[in-house]
Amino acid sequence: MRKILDIAKKELSSYFRTPIAYIVLIVAAIVFNMFFFIIVDNSQEASLRDVFKVMEFLFVFIVPILTMKVFAEEKATGTMEFLMTTPTTNNQIVLGKYLGSLAFFGLMVAPTGVYYLILEIFSSPDRATILTGYLGILIEGAFFISVGIMCSSWSKNQIVSAILSYSILFMLYFSLSFIKYFSGIAEQIIRYTNIMSHSENFLVGLITVSDLIYFISGILFCLVITRVSIDKRI
Amino acid sequence: MILADNITKYFGAFKAVDSVSFEIGRGEIVGFLGRNGAGKTTLMRMLTGYLPTSEGKVIIDGKDMSKNPLSIKRNIGYLPENPPLYSNMTVKDYLKFAARLKDITPKQILACVDRVIEECRLEDSRGKIISTLSKGYKQRVGIAQAIINEPEIIILDEPTSGLDPVQISHIRDLIGTLEHKRTVIVSTHILSEIEQIAKRVMIIKDGRIVKDDSLENILCSDNRKDIFIKVAGKEELIEKAIRQADGFKQINIDIVQDDVYLVQAENKNNILNYNDLLQKLVDNGAKVLEIKQKKGSLEEEFLRINRLKL
Ligand SMILES: Nc1ncnc2c1ncn2[C@@H]1O[C@H](COP(=O)(O)OP(=O)(O)O)[C@@H](O)[C@H]1O
Ligand SMILES: [Mg+2]
Repeated sequence: MRKILDIAKKELSSYFRTPIAYIVLIVAAIVFNMFFFIIVDNSQEASLRDVFKVMEFLFVFIVPILTMKVFAEEKATGTMEFLMTTPTTNNQIVLGKYLGSLAFFGLMVAPTGVYYLILEIFSSPDRATILTGYLGILIEGAFFISVGIMCSSWSKNQIVSAILSYSILFMLYFSLSFIKYFSGIAEQIIRYTNIMSHSENFLVGLITVSDLIYFISGILFCLVITRVSIDKRI
Repeated sequence: MILADNITKYFGAFKAVDSVSFEIGRGEIVGFLGRNGAGKTTLMRMLTGYLPTSEGKVIIDGKDMSKNPLSIKRNIGYLPENPPLYSNMTVKDYLKFAARLKDITPKQILACVDRVIEECRLEDSRGKIISTLSKGYKQRVGIAQAIINEPEIIILDEPTSGLDPVQISHIRDLIGTLEHKRTVIVSTHILSEIEQIAKRVMIIKDGRIVKDDSLENILCSDNRKDIFIKVAGKEELIEKAIRQADGFKQINIDIVQDDVYLVQAENKNNILNYNDLLQKLVDNGAKVLEIKQKKGSLEEEFLRINRLKL
């Protein structure tokens, strides 16, 4: 466990050793703010539902950039060889890196807590819905990150790894737009695997077992695949 | 201490390492010598547990690498071919991270970092970002990382490649200061280097070990044909004795001082037995003062091996 945290800490601090981290944090904050005020101003509604929708949409674009380096960089520079010849298990490496990226993601989302405070001060928001909304956003982000890390474990090249995770996330996120071209079992599969059909409920205050299972099994699946591709030295 | 039991590595259908077996004892300093692509790195990667073997076993201290990877890895310090550095970390942060991963207790981490910084002469780079260091310094950080937990086995893959002569001699000195009780394996494709570092040399070619011997033996191996004999006696009797002796042919004779000659002779059949030669010399009233084999260089040996079956 200590080692997982050591790796997570290194992973998190490695984000801050490149300008990308700051750019992402600043851009995310600016965009979230913009939408928050536009949405609140237009809807006159004391809810963050539409803000969450904008956030999850942006995560599809941000997360691959955050995760592209996670394994690709270590493999390209040869530090993977270092990690794997220290007395550290591959599970510890995968979990540590996952945790580190999650922590950075948490830092990105944390400032939006201010919106909740603003709503609290000027109106009486539906606290339960905001809470489930946050849970939804966080678990969804955790899933995106696991997809990104999995793709990063497939290539030495950060660009390739980013393109792979964009492909997967776009497919899972926008697939409902193409649903009319499918029918029968294919349609059902697309509907089930679509991310939005599982994040919706959180945003309106509902936590369902099936949504939780979707995200948690998705995360576990990606982490297991990551572990396998590390084992295979792909 | 290190036992390679018939290990083979395939990349697809390509055999990069082919049925290699050897045993290395505690405290030995062994050089892997081979041209680029010979399989040195792949072999080291299997010894350090980075790559699994396709066939065969790596046994360290009686333990099978595939079964006890963690406890074995704790005892191996490894410098891969490209020093495995996080270029945007400082030297100190990197070494602290390495110390943590190598199970050094939190209390000892700082002391260990300070120790290797001193041993690898990195005092003035401690706070520098690794990407700003010269290649020689990067290599030292790589070595510092490898020895930070004082492992009994140290494996260095081409530690001097790409360095200038001064940096090379620094690295060589550093390797020389590694304590004697440690087992060290160093690979290189540079010949002169291994002569200065290793006591035992394995020459690797096409994934196979084609020669495994002490440096001393390789340098005077029995295929060196020429011998020098310093002998006191009458010149014509000495020449006659060598003519009579089985398997030797005189090449040259120099007078060293009155009645003492230095004879260079070719050992025609590669025999290591000088009895007959000595007998004949003695029969001819000569007194043998010294017999010396011409020392070959490792380079000759290496070139010879690599010329075979090319
Ligand atoms: N991951 C790999 N995949 C395929 N072939 C490889 C791989 N690593 C090494 N090889 C091949 O194995 C052979 C030995 O390489 P290597 O062990 O790096 O040799 P050396 O270190 O002696 O230069 C080379 O022909 C190389 O191309
Ligand atoms: Mg090599």
